[in-house]
Amino acid sequence: MLALDRVGKTYPNGVHALERFSADIRLGEIVAIIGGSGCGKSTLLRAIAGLDRASTGSVTLDETAITAPHAKIGIIFQEPRLLPWLSVADNIGFGLSELSAAARREKVAGALARVGLTDKASAWPRELSGGQAQRVAIARALVPQPEVLLLDEPFSALDAFTRRDLQDHLLDLWNDTRPTLILVTHDVDEAVVLADRVLVMRPRPGRLFEEIKINLARPRDRNSPLFDNFKRRVLTALDRSLDRSVPDADAKSTAGEAMWW
Amino acid sequence: MAMTVELPALERTDAMTPSAASSRLRRYAGPALGLLLPVGLALVWEVVVAKGWSNGRLVPPPTKVFATIVELSKSGELARHIIATLSRVASGFVLGVAAGTLFGAISGYWGLARRLLDPTVQALRAIPSIAWVPLFILWLGISETSKVALIAVGVFFPVYLGVMGAILSVDRKIVEVGRTFRLSGPAMIRRILLPAVLPAYVVSLRVGLGLGWMFVVAAEFMGASEGLGYLLIDGQQLGKPAQILAAIVIFAILGKTTDWLIEIASAPLLRWQDAFGRQSGAT
Repeated sequence: MLALDRVGKTYPNGVHALERFSADIRLGEIVAIIGGSGCGKSTLLRAIAGLDRASTGSVTLDETAITAPHAKIGIIFQEPRLLPWLSVADNIGFGLSELSAAARREKVAGALARVGLTDKASAWPRELSGGQAQRVAIARALVPQPEVLLLDEPFSALDAFTRRDLQDHLLDLWNDTRPTLILVTHDVDEAVVLADRVLVMRPRPGRLFEEIKINLARPRDRNSPLFDNFKRRVLTALDRSLDRSVPDADAKSTAGEAMWW
Repeated sequence: MAMTVELPALERTDAMTPSAASSRLRRYAGPALGLLLPVGLALVWEVVVAKGWSNGRLVPPPTKVFATIVELSKSGELARHIIATLSRVASGFVLGVAAGTLFGAISGYWGLARRLLDPTVQALRAIPSIAWVPLFILWLGISETSKVALIAVGVFFPVYLGVMGAILSVDRKIVEVGRTFRLSGPAMIRRILLPAVLPAYVVSLRVGLGLGWMFVVAAEFMGASEGLGYLLIDGQQLGKPAQILAAIVIFAILGKTTDWLIEIASAPLLRWQDAFGRQSGAT
């Protein structure tokens, strides 16, 4: 289990980006974090990844405090961030340097087939389309089999069609090993189609505003009335989160559960 | 530098064309349009001198320059001068590259070292390097050492700047990928920094080599008994313009060839780059 306990972050320049964010995330759960700009979504994700240390509170994965990048936590960024001097196959195998060459090749071949890019194995990253490059990034993050996979607006730079395609593909891949997925997004549709739980944040400083459970069986039909209903709930929460007249105390009562301090 | 070396193309020497041709062919795969002007001018001048419209004493026709080269090489003179110059450039280049790489890497990697070292290096860089010549002669005498030192100084600065700049401009986002895969310090250098820095490093080596060729001439002007620079001075003092042009042509060929060698040697490592991919594809 991933436990976030009153995680806060103030940057050296004095920007108070995140305040006392708490949540417990079960293994295999898909959580979407959504909110307006400046609500500390990315800050939170980077703290979980161990890339930036939280200034207050703690992130613990199975009793281990996360203060630096951890083998069981993978991350996918908004940009694919492939290493331009490595072939697609070598990019996917980048995190497997402890394995023997043969074992690595086998795993990479499996991952390439899984993301449907076997024919691109020896291509350079610059030869890929945006969607293909992001697939490679997903394969690279998944191939070491992390327990937790963090995604920082992973599909926001893609066109709508590719985005949908990759959302479905991500769920497919998630089903293989069922890691925990924590997805930062600003796309309500994406949050509702993927997540078990949507955490709505509010800005300045970033903090948890509302939690919405998405009790919908997968695969989810993007056109069903129920889906629309959840979308509307998330949208309403987002609207309210940006409204300064709504006090935080109200959020505490609606969110309920053990998440609140 | 490459530019000074290519200037003689304006002086109607057709021996210039082989080196220009190799680079042009590679870049444009055929259209020899760029050759038209130098070859045309060379032909015109050849005709003008042959017809006796000009005596060609100060600007000898291409055939005369070529004949001088043949004559010099028959006597073995030419090989001696070329070897002398090449070995000076080679030792100066190796020394300059080694020092430039070392200090550039230190300045690029450590902020403290950069604040300590870089202002001094930049101040030294502002001095026209030829200004060191009298001092080097005082310190080291008119010897091989002072010549090599001068060339090394010329090569040092572009390499230093290139390495430091390249390290400083490595994409933070790519470094972060290395961090998420928990690369150790040495692994980060080997797997992320070195490949990221390589393209800029190759460019700085090529610039450094160009300066090395420029400085070897300066070094050989300050008193040498052999070398292509000596041929230049000798040609001036004895009034042999054909010998001067012959030396210039050979400088052009050597400069272009050594530059091309760096390009060829680095091409396999830089195949991933757009620009290099296109060039090697055309050859």
